[in-house]
Amino acid sequence: MAAVAIRTEGLSKHYGSVHALEGLDLEVGEGEVVGYLGPNGAGKTTTIRLLLGLIGPTSGRAEVFGLDCQHQVVEAHAHLAYVAGEASLWPSLTGAETLHLLGRVQGSVDEPYREELIERFDLDPSKKVRTYSKGNRQKLILIAALMTRPALLVLDEPTSGLDPLMEQAFRHCVYEARERGQTIFLSSHILSEVEALCDRVGILREGQLVEMGTLAEMRHLSALTVEATFEAAVPDLSGVVGVSSLEVVGHVARFQVRGSIEPLLKVLADAGVRELLSREPSLEELFLAQYGQSAEPAAASAHAS
Amino acid sequence: MVLRLTARKAVRSGVLWGYVFGLYLATQALAYASSYKSLAERTRLAKEFEFNTGVSALVGPAHDIETVAGFTVWKSLAVLAVVGAVWGLLAGTRLLRGEEDAGRWELLLAGQTTRRAAATQALVGLGCGVAVLWSVTAVIAVVLGRSSKVAISAPGALFLAVAVVAAAAMFLAVGALASQLAATRRQASAFAAAVLGVSYALRMVADSGTGLGWLRWASPLGWIEELQPLTDPHPLALLPIAGFTLLLGLLTVHLAGKRDLGASTLLDRASSNAHTRLLSGPSGLYLRLARWNLTAWGVGIAAYAVVLGLVAKSAGSAISSSSSLTRAFSRLGAIGAEAYLGVAFLLMAILVALVAAGQVSATRGEEADGRLDHLLVRPVSRASWLAGRLVLATVALVLGGLVAGVFTWLGAASQHSGLSFATVVEAGLNVVPPAVCILGIGALVFGVWPRAASVATYAVLVWSFLVELVGGIVGLNHWLLDTSVFHQMTAAPAISPDWTSGAALFGIGVVASLTGGVAFNLRDLQSA
Repeated sequence: MAAVAIRTEGLSKHYGSVHALEGLDLEVGEGEVVGYLGPNGAGKTTTIRLLLGLIGPTSGRAEVFGLDCQHQVVEAHAHLAYVAGEASLWPSLTGAETLHLLGRVQGSVDEPYREELIERFDLDPSKKVRTYSKGNRQKLILIAALMTRPALLVLDEPTSGLDPLMEQAFRHCVYEARERGQTIFLSSHILSEVEALCDRVGILREGQLVEMGTLAEMRHLSALTVEATFEAAVPDLSGVVGVSSLEVVGHVARFQVRGSIEPLLKVLADAGVRELLSREPSLEELFLAQYGQSAEPAAASAHAS
Repeated sequence: MVLRLTARKAVRSGVLWGYVFGLYLATQALAYASSYKSLAERTRLAKEFEFNTGVSALVGPAHDIETVAGFTVWKSLAVLAVVGAVWGLLAGTRLLRGEEDAGRWELLLAGQTTRRAAATQALVGLGCGVAVLWSVTAVIAVVLGRSSKVAISAPGALFLAVAVVAAAAMFLAVGALASQLAATRRQASAFAAAVLGVSYALRMVADSGTGLGWLRWASPLGWIEELQPLTDPHPLALLPIAGFTLLLGLLTVHLAGKRDLGASTLLDRASSNAHTRLLSGPSGLYLRLARWNLTAWGVGIAAYAVVLGLVAKSAGSAISSSSSLTRAFSRLGAIGAEAYLGVAFLLMAILVALVAAGQVSATRGEEADGRLDHLLVRPVSRASWLAGRLVLATVALVLGGLVAGVFTWLGAASQHSGLSFATVVEAGLNVVPPAVCILGIGALVFGVWPRAASVATYAVLVWSFLVELVGGIVGLNHWLLDTSVFHQMTAAPAISPDWTSGAALFGIGVVASLTGGVAFNLRDLQSA
């Protein structure tokens, strides 16, 4: 049985009448890299603050490595490190002093790795934090989290403010952590980042987890985009099971197909197709499908916007 | 935008302090009128203090103190000038530099506002605060003047109010300019406080009868003294005051346009070697962050204590020779220097309590700005974080009381006033329990209603101060008096400290802290 890094049961957080998070059931296995997606205000940060015990749930519970997130905070935190998207640090300390402090508070630091990270992220630790740009402050808390080699990394939009070069360095660190068997919980709205790094993805919407699965599993949720070029006139495809969004320009038909493609293939074979292009949906398309801006509106909780 | 934001905060604070200023004037005037009823008594008091250089150095020379007006000016002007100056420099640095450090100006300046226009607007907003401070003080002064016991003309009362708030205006400008020169709000406050310290020292030397009276013209606080409201008004002394304020304001706007947002005009050390001795945990971090602030308070308390000690003997002998004062003080069971210090130590208690309130504010600040998150997401319990801070803050308060006692004794001993070391140090420690009580109340509010922690703590402090002030002249209901944290504190060294009520206050502080700690453990963290 693989150990569980994060488990939540019916985890909810209400602020008055606002349901920031509703009945979240989540399980992240040890060594997994899980992406946590959702637009602003969907409840990503609320989930993470609940996992960290910074706020308490209205109902339900959460645990990290079997340790209760509310009642065994100190023990649970010995195994994890957290990076926030908004880094507010002590302005009068230097970068090196901040790293020293946070390392001592955490307890154990891989010092050679810390030096390597400082090098890799190109940070000048002798500068005072108040002179750092937002990106540099972000690097500082990334280094502070990674240098302790925690069993679980909880990352809340960790690359905000980083330039593409540094984002690359960050991805490299995540690959490394994954190689070492560290568990990573990555909240983000940068889809390419999640697509590149994560084994599994959860999509959160208005406080509810609406999808959870591997990227491969989730691709079935969205339509395949197909472009077919015919030798002669385009046959009538509108009646074929699963086909939608049909557009015909001359001999070329563009459309989407959902579910089994067998009925479609039969029609195409008879009609004499010269070229056939089909493409899997990107995470971006999956995400948009989930939020109802393309394909069909997502089920129950869809809003007119 | 900047104007509205700054004005709103400055006006709110101006109203509050306007009441404090007005009430202070009123209590001094009414207390005098009711305790010195006959002309003979007043003349005797005047004789004692007219040539008392010690007291003159402390609060300025006494003019016409056989009149209510003269006495009120003498007892209020120097004190309120210093309070106003502190208010001004803190408001100036907070609303100019503090807002900028917090990054709020970045948003505004991204719009159509230029840096120079923003600084101008902020100054105008602060000016609104001063105007309101003056208005509230003036209204109370005019109403007070209409009382037959006090009898001050309306123009006289208005001019008195001008004199009282002049320091606030000047040091607002000092704070604003310091905000342009320094790299952080703390540094700016330190610069401005240094200017205030020098001004006070110059005025003290000028008023100590050493033939250096001209030095008064070198000190902003001296100019205020030269105004001599009510007794012998010199409106001409308003010229340097207005000129100084205007010049500093213009310099502020000029420098604001020349520097980058977040940068300083003077060279700032952007990098430094790592000093990690204290940085081994949350408590060490607290010491590291609070050390200069606490040291500055310590130096301030020590300086004030030395001055009190220096003047204790002569002020005490003046009290002894005034029959009605002696009567008032003999109820305290003491005369002379001990009686004087017994009364003066109330202000010491307030200073130490201010340190306590400052620590509550800083504690909430760590949470509000999200810095606390970095500690609590690591293996640090909330309880240990808060307990560490509160214990260290309590130690700082005890040290503050010790410093107050020891330095008062040093000042007093240099004048051979015959006060025993133990008595004065005890009196110093006597001011600690109310401060611990304030700290505890602050911790309780922090636990239960964090967003109100800072305001509530200062409110308790100001309320207690006002109750003491008003209770000194009007017989207040004892329930009301008991709401003041200072009321259970005996007037040591005039009366020997009552350690039972001291322990009770300390106990209330501890219990409140514990309750606050439990509540903090159960609640959500709340950002600003």
